[in-house]
Amino acid sequence: MDDRSGVRATYERIAAHFSTTREYAWPEVESFCAGRRADTALDVGCGNGRHADVLAGHAERVVGLDASRALLSAARRRVPDADLLEGDASSLPIAGDTVGLAVYVATLHHLPSRGLRRRSLDELARVLTADGVGLVSAWSTAHDRFEAGIDADSGFDTEVDWTLPGGETVPRYYHIYAPAEFDADLGASDLAVVESFLSSGNCYAVVEPA
Amino acid sequence: MKESLLDILCCPLDKGELELEVIRENDDEILEGRLVCVECGEEYPIEDGIPNLLPPDMRDEAAA
Repeated sequence: MDDRSGVRATYERIAAHFSTTREYAWPEVESFCAGRRADTALDVGCGNGRHADVLAGHAERVVGLDASRALLSAARRRVPDADLLEGDASSLPIAGDTVGLAVYVATLHHLPSRGLRRRSLDELARVLTADGVGLVSAWSTAHDRFEAGIDADSGFDTEVDWTLPGGETVPRYYHIYAPAEFDADLGASDLAVVESFLSSGNCYAVVEPA
Repeated sequence: MKESLLDILCCPLDKGELELEVIRENDDEILEGRLVCVECGEEYPIEDGIPNLLPPDMRDEAAA
């Protein structure tokens, strides 16, 4: 399953329908942004732009990056003033020390190997300014639908079907994180964790460059 | 893409600076063009106003 292009192709295929189901920003992202301000904000895995839309209220410039061109087209309609880029979270095309506020939510779990996931965390650390801050989240074993549970030592790879309006299903790759593993990957990265928490079956961490 | 974005972009592979070649633009942004890494020479297309800065191996597989 070590196939970033496959994950990308999946979202190219389901983008139009997926986008219509991603109308609202996550409250965790709104809380994180509250009271924060930056020159440049970055949304890694911006999808249809719902969180770039939130970031726009907290930065002079908002950059949205996604591997799916089709989702970026949806983002352009939703956040016309944002700068949008087609790119890969594990090899960010962003210069170091430029981003003051970042969200990297619900994307890390789509990178199909632990090496790539850890590299993406180092990439986030690289682009953040010295006083920059980011919010990272991933789907976790703490979610009710998974049997592994909150205390699992390690997560697992799985495919979660997306059902298109006609009933056709498209499998999406996920790595479901055990909370302990999420903490371990962050701990091994160039990021320092300010705060970590669980919410709605997702692991979250507020991070800054180590 | 807005030309001002160039300030913070780099090559996804070696993080080298990028040079902009404009093919088509309007008053606000570059619609078609190329971003070329000054270090490795890799070219990244700008299509319909959005730069494609995926690493070439992801870009090529997706196009196939």
